[in-house]
Amino acid sequence: MGAATAPRLEPSVSPSAFEPDGSVAVGVYGLTKRFARQRTWGQLLRAPLRNEQVTVVDDVTWTVAPGELFGLLGPNGAGKTTIFKMLAGITALDGGSATVGGCDVTHDTVRVRRSVGCVMANDRTLYWRLSALENLRLFAALYGLYGRAARERSREVLRTVELTDAGDKLVANFSSGMRQRLLIARALLPRPKVLLLDEPTRSLDPLSARSFRAFLRSELVAGTECTVLLATHSSEEAMDLCDRVAVLDRGRLLAHGTTRDLGALYGGEWYCIWTRDPEHPALLTSAADGRMLHVTVAQADAIGWSCLRAQIPGGPDRAAALLLSLAGDGVRISRFERVQLTLADLLERIVVEPHRP
Amino acid sequence: MNARAVLAVTRAQWLTASSYRVGMIVSLVGTIAAVVPTLLVARALQPVMAGAISSEGHQYFGFLLLGTVTFTFLPIAINTLPSSIESSISNGTLEMVLGTPTAPAVLLSGFMGYSLLWTALRALLLLAAGALLGASFSLAHAPVASGILLLIFVAHVPVGLIAAASVLAFRTTGPLPQIVVVLSTLLGGVYYPTHVIPGWLRPFSDLFPLTYGLRALRRVLMDGATLAQVAPDLTQLMLMTVVLFAVGTLMFSLALRYAMRNGSLGNY
Repeated sequence: MGAATAPRLEPSVSPSAFEPDGSVAVGVYGLTKRFARQRTWGQLLRAPLRNEQVTVVDDVTWTVAPGELFGLLGPNGAGKTTIFKMLAGITALDGGSATVGGCDVTHDTVRVRRSVGCVMANDRTLYWRLSALENLRLFAALYGLYGRAARERSREVLRTVELTDAGDKLVANFSSGMRQRLLIARALLPRPKVLLLDEPTRSLDPLSARSFRAFLRSELVAGTECTVLLATHSSEEAMDLCDRVAVLDRGRLLAHGTTRDLGALYGGEWYCIWTRDPEHPALLTSAADGRMLHVTVAQADAIGWSCLRAQIPGGPDRAAALLLSLAGDGVRISRFERVQLTLADLLERIVVEPHRP
Repeated sequence: MNARAVLAVTRAQWLTASSYRVGMIVSLVGTIAAVVPTLLVARALQPVMAGAISSEGHQYFGFLLLGTVTFTFLPIAINTLPSSIESSISNGTLEMVLGTPTAPAVLLSGFMGYSLLWTALRALLLLAAGALLGASFSLAHAPVASGILLLIFVAHVPVGLIAAASVLAFRTTGPLPQIVVVLSTLLGGVYYPTHVIPGWLRPFSDLFPLTYGLRALRRVLMDGATLAQVAPDLTQLMLMTVVLFAVGTLMFSLALRYAMRNGSLGNY
């Protein structure tokens, strides 16, 4: 059986132009950001005045509706964090424009900052020598909440993130998961209209990550009714949580659309078949007659089951029929499952063959 | 200027600093202990210095103690902002605080607030210990003297602003803070009156705010001079403060804009 080649694809969900209007919670329009390229001493000495730049966000356009959970999906260096920093008014734009709650991030920065809660992927942004409550009271003051109002709001957001009992504990003594929750509590302080979450489950173990996702869905999105933008490199997380997703790579927007559309376009027809007989004639025939495409076989596991990965075109009924046929031909199968779309697969499928003729 | 936000940042700085208790205690004990060598040196030099300091009080111990106290404010005024910016960048907190609607000026004032109060406390302890050991000050003039001391502190903050701008843009303070501290010590009249400095160096002495501030402070606190009598020195000091603040603010704003354009607020 041959090595996998890229599957044929439906047309990419193309970015289209949008006009800013009141129904847009967050809009980026031709957003572009360039940073100076780090140069070696040799390059500096040869051409000290040359200004080399690298484009980290390249003409990106999308909009997010109020109350939507929107995912930015991409590998490291895709430009997700830079986009968030531009939306939060921390990094200046080099091209295009962006609005948050109808306010331009360049010209109305203070109002934008009032309406954005930002959770960056770095728990060092908390003051570790202060307690959770002290951290929150400090930031409450920076958002214009003082005295009793600040104390009450701080306790309220601690309750929201289920850290009520840890309010007086030093942040230095928190676990990673607790710090992540505190970062979210801090972002919720100003009752933001837009919440930016940059890889919120990065430092969490799988169980904590799962519980965090449930919390995100039930408490943050349903409970606060704010628009949430989630940057992640986990396609599973993006597909699981978000209403719509934008796929970025090296600063370019590769595709965006509803998770359902993207999943159907790029991940719907791939299956993993666990079998004791990877060389069974019925399997070879299925590969030869086109019922299975791009078949690859991984080395057998310790107890002798091999994972055969293949594209089975024609939808779930064709896959079910194939399973019945293989079982009827005596192929020993322990598991037959749809493959969860990984970011690497998704990028490969979008980049390698973005358009079907 | 939002005073409550300034207080909140100052409070956070205080809570952070006070969580390092040993460091705080050592700093206070060291401050008080510094009086003893000052007294011994002053006693030894009193006969030599008495004539030279006749216009700024006759007692060299008081003269030296005031110089030392004033000098403790200098590195704080100059180094607090760059070191706060530097540690906030490496911690990642700078992006977060600048990402709030609070103006940078409020944040910077908050960074300065704790350092100023802590240094004022240490200075008070030093002066109290000196008074117990025989330094003679005119307590009736203490409020005016405090105002002058504050003005000296404020006059040096722009140097810190420029150094902080350099940290934002280039990740180094550059040599400016050290140059100002060292030259102020040598030419500003900390250990001896400026009129004993060789004639060719005196014009350089006039370039430093400390020269005017310290002279006014000593005349008020040790000679009982009135505000009107020290007005020329204070006017000069205020003029320098205004000019330095204009330069410092401009440089900091430019550096902040540069760092926001480069996306380097969070990268050390």
